[in-house]
Amino acid sequence: MTFLKSQLKNNRFLMIVILAYVAVGIFSPDKFLPSLGNTWYYVKEMLMIMPVILLLTSLISAWVPKETIENAFGKNSGIKGSLFAFLLGSFSAGPIYAAFPVCKMLLSKGASIANIVIILSTWAVIKIPMLITESKFLGPEFMVVRWILTTLAIFLMGYITSRFVKPEDLPADDEAAALVDPLSLNPDYCVGCGLCAKIAPSHFKMVDKKATVISQTLSSGDGLAIKDAVAKCPSQIIRFHP
Amino acid sequence: MDIFTLIFWVITLVWLGFSLKKDKGKTLKAIKMSGGMMKGIAGDILGILLLIGLILTFVPPETIKATIGQTNEVVSTVLFALLGSITLIPAFVAFPLVASLVDAGASIVPIVAFLTTLTMVGVVTFPLEKREFGLKFTLIRNSLSLIFALVIALTMGVIL
Repeated sequence: MTFLKSQLKNNRFLMIVILAYVAVGIFSPDKFLPSLGNTWYYVKEMLMIMPVILLLTSLISAWVPKETIENAFGKNSGIKGSLFAFLLGSFSAGPIYAAFPVCKMLLSKGASIANIVIILSTWAVIKIPMLITESKFLGPEFMVVRWILTTLAIFLMGYITSRFVKPEDLPADDEAAALVDPLSLNPDYCVGCGLCAKIAPSHFKMVDKKATVISQTLSSGDGLAIKDAVAKCPSQIIRFHP
Repeated sequence: MDIFTLIFWVITLVWLGFSLKKDKGKTLKAIKMSGGMMKGIAGDILGILLLIGLILTFVPPETIKATIGQTNEVVSTVLFALLGSITLIPAFVAFPLVASLVDAGASIVPIVAFLTTLTMVGVVTFPLEKREFGLKFTLIRNSLSLIFALVIALTMGVIL
């Protein structure tokens, strides 16, 4: 029963649509099968790309060395830094707000304003798995043209923003104030991937599609799993100070 | 299957082969994790696909085409750009939705504007962004994104 309840809660949108289908089945049954037929066409298209996107996302997370890219930023990194910013955004997962904490961390490492804008924008619009989906549904030509135009726009935006915004305009890092518990996370930026709960189930749990810390007690051997969870978190929101 | 999807399949499978050969454990673990991530949004994707089916049945493509054809393109582009700014749905879910509009005969200019602002301009996430980067940065980045979304959309209308 609790399982069913949590499933209902997690798939509220799907449930509403299914209810709409029930209503259609009752009030205008002749429209029921055509609706399912229209859906089937898009389901087939989705099934053709879902496996390849799943595999590609896995391969990227396994082999693209994020730490190396992240360490390549710096105030004087110039074109190379912007290029790395572009790559980091393109090979990331999750919505734009997942990039906020990552960028905050990079700023403290000395990344420039222009590069932060480049990461945020590429992270938002031109991720590799997204490009495949776009090409599948809207055509390769559409995808390529939009990619080129967006890339140009992103570099321009980075430059323009850095003309107007100076580093001292950004708020100071207030992270040190919150360090009471050894283990903490900011649920605002959680994308609900559930990796932490899978890697360290004794310390993290998914509640309402957001990660929560369920235990502060550390037994021997826990540290390794928690550190793995910290490293794998797509939006890097877990703080661990044993 | 179109040639582009096929190319992606080939690249991915070749990469997967190398990856499995080099480190089987690491590869399988990564696949399992992405699978979990995918499961999280599977419900939303199925929901939107079912909704598209419903909309296309009740509002036939001819009606969509006629309605969008009558509206001024500049007006509809700005409207779609604003609509994209205030909504927060994954682009992954948005592609089949806008593709159904294009299939039904909608112009691509408003569609591009919507797709770009959908992911790049965040009205809902504005408070979060402001807290992390300050008002000035957030205001400038979001306004520039909105302007460039319109520029990209209009340019694509000219090229394609």
